[in-house]
This record gives sequence, structure tokens and C-alpha cells, in this order.
Amino acid sequence: MANFKVNYREDTALFQNLWVKSWLVIFIVTMLVLPFLLSRYQLSILDEMGIAVIGALGLNLLIGYTGQISLGHGAFVAIGAYTSGLLAGTLGVPFIISLPLSGMTAALLSLIVGVPSLRLKGLYLALGTLAFGFIIEYILFHWDLTRGDTGMAVPKIGTEGFFIETERQFFYLIMFFAAVATLVAKNLARTKIGRSFVAIRDRDIAAEAMGISLSKYKIMAFAVAAFYAGVAGSLMAYYQKWIVPGNFDITLSIAYIAMIVLGGMGTVLGSILGAILITGIPHAIVYLTDALRGTYPNLSNLIVDLKLGIFGLVIVLTLLLEPQGLVGIYRRIKVYWKTWPFKY
Amino acid sequence: MRNKLWGWSVLLAVVLCLSVNSVWAATVRGVTDKEIKIACLVDLSGPGKYGGPPIADAFRDYVAWVNDTGGINGRKIDLIVEDNGILPTTTMNAAKKVILKDEVLAIAFNLGSAGSSAIVPLCAENKVVLMPHGANKGFYHPGNKWVFVPHTVQFSMASRAVEYILSKNSKARIGVIYQDDDFGKEGLEGAGAAATFMKTKLVAQAPYKTGTIDFTPHMNTMKEANVDAIVLWTYLPQSAAIIKQKVKMAWDVQLISNNTTGVPPLFALTGEAADGYMLVTPYAPVHTDLPGIKRIKDINKKYGNAAKTLENPAYPDYLYLAGWGYIEAMVQGLRKAGKDLNPETLVKGLESVHNFDMGGLCPNITFGPKQHVSSFSSLILKADGKAKRFVIVDSIKAPKTPQ
Repeated sequence: MANFKVNYREDTALFQNLWVKSWLVIFIVTMLVLPFLLSRYQLSILDEMGIAVIGALGLNLLIGYTGQISLGHGAFVAIGAYTSGLLAGTLGVPFIISLPLSGMTAALLSLIVGVPSLRLKGLYLALGTLAFGFIIEYILFHWDLTRGDTGMAVPKIGTEGFFIETERQFFYLIMFFAAVATLVAKNLARTKIGRSFVAIRDRDIAAEAMGISLSKYKIMAFAVAAFYAGVAGSLMAYYQKWIVPGNFDITLSIAYIAMIVLGGMGTVLGSILGAILITGIPHAIVYLTDALRGTYPNLSNLIVDLKLGIFGLVIVLTLLLEPQGLVGIYRRIKVYWKTWPFKY
Repeated sequence: MRNKLWGWSVLLAVVLCLSVNSVWAATVRGVTDKEIKIACLVDLSGPGKYGGPPIADAFRDYVAWVNDTGGINGRKIDLIVEDNGILPTTTMNAAKKVILKDEVLAIAFNLGSAGSSAIVPLCAENKVVLMPHGANKGFYHPGNKWVFVPHTVQFSMASRAVEYILSKNSKARIGVIYQDDDFGKEGLEGAGAAATFMKTKLVAQAPYKTGTIDFTPHMNTMKEANVDAIVLWTYLPQSAAIIKQKVKMAWDVQLISNNTTGVPPLFALTGEAADGYMLVTPYAPVHTDLPGIKRIKDINKKYGNAAKTLENPAYPDYLYLAGWGYIEAMVQGLRKAGKDLNPETLVKGLESVHNFDMGGLCPNITFGPKQHVSSFSSLILKADGKAKRFVIVDSIKAPKTPQ
């Protein structure tokens, strides 16, 4: 079947042909059935991945699309988590209100790094956002309201009679928000805003010469990324039911950067694949050590010792062998099958 | 056709749901006729890696002995030692793994206060008894049905430190140097509560940030306040740095600290300068011949690797003993739970452990429906710089300060 596009609407459509639509239907059905086939532990890993996807999408809009480096993404996740914790735990605000408020609070506080980003670039911006992350971590540790490194409880989602508490229920909830976040990011990328982000990333002076307001779009990129992070943080807080500052240290920010770099910068699919990979590696190591424990106990212990090294090695090898990230691999496979049996 | 397809899909979903639920209903998680699955979460790869292996050693030796001597009500213990990386995120992953994948009945040890706090809801939701280490008052006050602390907490030990100093010199001027986190703050609170109870007050306080090794300003603050004794709620590197600073200042001030600093590397770091350094701990030194210690040594010799562990002078034996106290408490609870073992009977079993004799190793263990901390008592030890070991200077006692 030919795949010609005869108007702009077809060219910019989210789901461009029958194949894509069919795969989407298969994907949705799989996601609906999956909770009945997987164990609670496997579902908990998918829940974690779903939350990571939301955070990674936000960071990719900022770094991958707009070219503004941020080492403080974990801080915005923390702001979202603690906003939900405080709103729900202290004031009894329901989930449906606290979730968007968490995103908005993070977006509002992103102005603290968004505004200086107008004058900072590259490494200087990276350092500025890094410092912001440390400040937030310090506040969480020392502010009485956030209760130090012991952390604070987050109530269950729901009202009398119905609560979202099982892994299965959380799976549907988190995947719903991950799907919405993906659709919004996809849409945003093809709007004037998304194209302005890309123009700023490619050459900011040229973008300004074309009439794109740098201040407006840079601040907007920070706000959108922070909103995504805030929502991810809120979901994480409700899912884990207890938050501690140690959950949101610099390693979280680095993990998010690793997700988008390994997944593929400037692509929505890359954010998803990267989030799955980075969240999945530690769990894959757990499965590996468990599988080896009976037969090769020494090797299993060695893997535990070298866990961080293995994690790093996977990242380095992926970057060396596929600089475009997982999206690069996906594209190559896609082209191979599209042109098969021809090479090009 | 479409309606038929929907019908089949719904039927399939219902069947799957029912089958999954029926499996859950038929069994008790972590318990079979022959086995009880228990987890021990320690740091084997993160910043607390120093503490993980000795605790795991104690668990393995004790479990080997229990299994070899008939098990618990006919069941053997299947011990799962999992790396928790000590950080909250990694601890959460480890807890999920042992609860949701391995399906353990209880987590008999978790290293790290923040990580323990993070996994309490997961444990409560899945009815898993949790024994947190590095525990603070929040774990038993107001408390949680599923959390038991078989360990004297920092608040109680700091109270004991101040009371001991004041018992020797009722007019002693006491200062506190503490780490600026929940661990240090709980020490400060315990010391402050004891000072108030003894109708005096702390004359100087100096917090420090994690990782600090230069204590010149802190010690100057203490010197200016003309203190007679300094309570240190610090970790090993900081205590060693303070001992060296004390020597540098040629100041003969009494230092008293907590159990985390009572390890052999203290002598390696400070040499004979550690002489006279005191600490509060729930655990007796391993070189003593108390019945509880003797029993541990015998079991370690038979089931463990004594040459590399308790007979090795560089081995952090205090951590081994801490692990021992935890698994011993858990096993008593399991025994008391009886043949009909499940999470509820385990809680009841633990709550019925009363004055269980630890042979002087640590305070006897007592839990109750309203008491999920085993004891408030501790010992006072003093460093013998020449012999490079700690000796008991005051036996196991509870502080008089209300806990």
C-alpha cells in the first residue's frame, strides 16, 4: 500500500498510516491484558518505568529539543513529590487536585533556573542547575515541614470505599498518565512551540532573527520540563507512599540524563526507550544474580560487587556502539524491514 | 462478531483474575510446611558496604545453627541476603524484590534509617514484619504494627551517655558535637532530654555537615564553653578526627560517643590517642567471656569462618553482634508464633517475647503489644589504647530519663 501524503494534515498526523494505528491498538490491548499475566514484582518494575518515562519526556523536551542542559531535573521531581506529600498529607487535598498542582509548583519554581538560563549556556547552565538541585536537597533535609531524612508519609489515592493501592491499579493509573504525557510531548513537538524549541537548540541567534522570542521559549521549555518532572514526582510519591530526600539526590538527575542520552536526544521514542533501559538494568541484574545464585554462588556474589560497574559498562558500550541511542537502533531495524530485500 | 470478541476477552480477564486471587488465598507468603523465608537487607555495594558483610555473616551462622538443630517448629529457615545499597531508592528496590518476587514472611534486618522509613508502607501493605537498623524513635513511637526494633535507639543511648557523665560528676559541663542529620539530631535530643531530666543543661552545641573532617572550630566552641565532657553523635571518621584534634589542642576533655564508632579501625586511625575514649552501646565487646558471647563464638566456630570473622582482630565484630541480636529476636518471635505461622501470628509471637535472655550480649529482649522496641538499655565502654580494645566500665542499664 502506498504511503503518499497529499496534504499537510496527513503529513503532521500523529498516527500516520494503518500500520502505526494497528500497532497502537495491539499495544493498548497488550497494556490492558499485561497486569493479568505478570507478577506483582514485574508490574512494580513497569510502574517504575512508567514514572521514569514521564520525567524523561520532560527532560528531553528541555535538553533534546531546546538544547538547554539541566543537571537539576531530580530537584523538580522532588518538588512535585513533596508538594503532593504536603498537600495530600497535611491538607488532605485529593489526588486529582494535588497532581496538577505538583506539576504547576515545579513549573513555577523552574523560573529560578529558567530566568538565569537566558544569560547562561553550556557548562555554566549545567552548573547553575546542579546548584539548584543541591539547594533543593538541602532544604528537604533541613526544613521542619519536610521532616528531614526520615521523610514523610503520603496518603493513599482514593476516598472511602475505593482506594488505588494494588500494583495492578497503579499500573493502569501510571500508564494512563504516561500515555497522556507522551501524546502531549508528541503534539508539542509538532506545534509552533516545538519548532521554536528546535530552532533555539540548532542556533539561537538565527532563531531570534526569525522572530522567535528566546526568553519566552527558553523559560517555557524549563517550565514544561519541570511540569513533567513535578507530575512524575507526584506519581512517585503516591506510589511509594513515603518520600525521603535521599530519593531525589544528584543520582536521580544523572539517571534522567542517561535515559535521554541512551534513548535518543530530541525524540519522544528515545525518552521512552531510555527510561525503560535505565530503570530496567538494575532489575535485570537482580534476575541475573538470582538465576546464577544456585549454580554459581561465587559468580552471583561477584555480580553484586560489580553491580555499579556493570551498570556503567552497559551505558558506555551503548554510547560507543550506538551514539544515536536506542532510537538509532530502532530506526535501522525499521529501515531494514521497510526496504527488505534491498539494502537501501 | 465484535460483541463475541468482547465477551471472550471479558471472560478471559475474569478467569485470570480469579486464578491469580485463588493462588494468593491458598498460601501464606514465605511459609511452607518445610520452610520459612526470611530476608536480611544489608549494604553490599554502596556507601555502607563496610557494615553489610559482618551482619550477613551473623545471619548465615545463626540460621545454619537453627536449621542444624531442628529448625523452628519443624521448619527450616530459607535466608535471603539481599544488597540494599543503603540508599532509599536502592533499599526500595531490594525490599520490593524480597517481598514481591521472593515472597518472604519477614525482613529481619534492614540497614539504614532513611531506607527503612521508605519501605515501611510497602511492608505494612504486604503484612511483612520489618526490623530496621539505624533505627530512630519514629519507628516505635508512635509505632507501626509491622515494625519491631530489637535494638536500643540513639535517643536512649545519648540519654545514657549524659546520665553516666553526670553520675560521675554532677556539676559536669557537657557539650555536644553532632552530625546535622536525623541521626545526629536524635542524639542531641536524647542528650538534651537527659540534661533537662537531671536538672542541668547542655552548655554548648556544635553541628557539622556529613563528611566534615576538620573539627577545629567545633572543638574551639567546646573549649570556649569550658566543657568537662563532650557527647559525640558522630560516625567513625569524625570521632577519629575529634580525638586527633583533642591531642593537638593538648586538652584533657572526656569524649563519649555512640556504638557506631566502637570498631577496630578507630585504633588504626588514632593509635593510643583513643585511650579513655568512651562509648555507649547495646553490645558487649567480643573479647569478654559472657555466656551470650561464648555461645556466639562456639556457633561461629562451627558454622562460620572464625579465622576471618570473630577471631580476626580487624573484623568489625560489633556489626556481627548487632546482626546476631536481630536474627535472635526474629527467631524467638517465630518460635512463639507456633505451628500456625502467618504474618499475624508472627506479630503476636514477637509481642509475646518477654525478657528473653541474651546472656549479657545485649539487653534482654522484651516486646509487647504497646512496645515494639526491645530495650532502652545500654553499656558504657572505655577504650584501652594499648590493648586496642574496649572494656566495660558500666553494665547494661536503662536511662532514668523518660523515653
